[in-house]
Amino acid sequence: MPYTAPRPSPQQHSRVLSGGGAKAASHGASCAAVPAEVARHHEHAARAGQCCSAVVQAIAAPVGAVWSVVRRFDRPQAYKHFIRSCRLVGGGDVAVGSVREVRVVSGLPATSSRERLEILDDERRVLSFRVVGGEHRLANYRSVTTVHEAGAGAGTGTVVVESYVVDVPHGNTADETRVFVDTIVRCNLQSLARTAERLA
Amino acid sequence: MSMAQVCCDSAVTAAPVAGPEAEARARARAERRRRAAEAGRWKHAAAAGTAAADATRKRSLEAGELLVARKHGAASVAGRRREMEDAVSVRESFAAEGDADGGGRRDFYGVFDGHGCSHVAEACRDRMHDLLAEELAAADGSGSAATWTAAMERSFARMDAEAMSAGGSAACRCDPHKCDHVGSTAVVAVVEERRVVVANCGDSRALLCRGGGAPPLPLSSDHKPDRPDELERIEAAGGRVIFWEGARVLGVLAMSRAIGDGYLKPYVSSVPEVTVTDRADADECLILASDGLWDVVSNEAACEVARACLRRGRARWCAEAAALLTKLALARRSSDNVSVVVVDLRRRDH
Repeated sequence: MPYTAPRPSPQQHSRVLSGGGAKAASHGASCAAVPAEVARHHEHAARAGQCCSAVVQAIAAPVGAVWSVVRRFDRPQAYKHFIRSCRLVGGGDVAVGSVREVRVVSGLPATSSRERLEILDDERRVLSFRVVGGEHRLANYRSVTTVHEAGAGAGTGTVVVESYVVDVPHGNTADETRVFVDTIVRCNLQSLARTAERLA
Repeated sequence: MSMAQVCCDSAVTAAPVAGPEAEARARARAERRRRAAEAGRWKHAAAAGTAAADATRKRSLEAGELLVARKHGAASVAGRRREMEDAVSVRESFAAEGDADGGGRRDFYGVFDGHGCSHVAEACRDRMHDLLAEELAAADGSGSAATWTAAMERSFARMDAEAMSAGGSAACRCDPHKCDHVGSTAVVAVVEERRVVVANCGDSRALLCRGGGAPPLPLSSDHKPDRPDELERIEAAGGRVIFWEGARVLGVLAMSRAIGDGYLKPYVSSVPEVTVTDRADADECLILASDGLWDVVSNEAACEVARACLRRGRARWCAEAAALLTKLALARRSSDNVSVVVVDLRRRDH
């Protein structure tokens, strides 16, 4: 039975603010460093029955080192340690439209995930993928990850922002869904920090 | 699969046969049929059993020492999940003998059901008994329940710290920075002459099979996140239990206590629950197993299988019971790794 909200909820928006303003406080000062041209990628229009969220991670490593790990669409397990293995469907090089088949480690409420690369922008350091299949409960998941200089002078470190939008599964609330996904994303970004800091 | 199901059922419900000779012949026939039926299906079980047996180490005999081995059997199978992440540990006479309270020698048995990767469970198999032996040596000699609880809690805390600082094994090549997401259950039993001490962390389980028609006695309680006191503890710590294919801590992990899993601390705790149980003359055996067994086999059914093997009167009845229980779990389509240890608790004069 498809999920039906008892009453259509107002449309939600998630925004990573690029400028000043009162709302910037809710994301912390480090998030204000996201340039306007990239912040728009983190604007997700969540329909009824969906939810969205964003996780921010500071990393004490150069932006180039961090991006070199994040951009490997074919090797997410380098820092996403809930991933046991990954293979590109159909082989070939990574390009927008590539699809990867990811197998998940044991103990999690998921077995596999099939994901399509939507954006890979080396100039602005933006990576986005959409989940198009697999054995899990995260239908219509779309994620955007951006990598930025932390601000105030070169070599001071990096900020990574990952935001997503996803259907709320039948039987769960939007809040529960955010708790679950944020836990996974936060763990991944903390692993990314450790990985990149070791590379640097 | 129906043949295996019939075979397992017949083992559970073996009918009484009149006369010792007729009984022996009936057992021999049933055994031959069972082996013929199973030979082609469970070869991997034999291999896994051998691997489990390799994990068993006996203290070498010293001159003049009379070492009487307690009978036990262990079996592990990967099951429908491809990776084997369970580990089993059997360490006879692993620690200095206890004092008057518990009496005599101490044997260590452990089942560790890993998740995320296998190396935390393997570390538990390799180290838990050593840590416990050290803690017992350092403890006061009273052997009281409080002393056992303290020793077990310190051993589990040290094992947890080791699991979270060490890297992976040679097999999995995880490096130390990547281990936050790996963990394991730990159900540990120490068998003394007069008592059985169990410490449990996670959703594996220890069960005492008593004879004389008594019901099975659980020696551990599963740490599921929706167990009322566990739910309360998690929420008091600021965590959430979310029903996401079962009750899970933050929607992620299906148990509320484990060794490792640093990213879910403090919600997923490594503090064990400890029980100290006096042994009785009617005790038959102790069963330790991972949830791959308990998810599909009730306590009562597990004891019936063990009792049926005991009644056959064969010397290796514990190993047979362990192997049969793993096969029963597979026949009932357990989706997990299955590991079972069966320990003979009958008095030596039997």
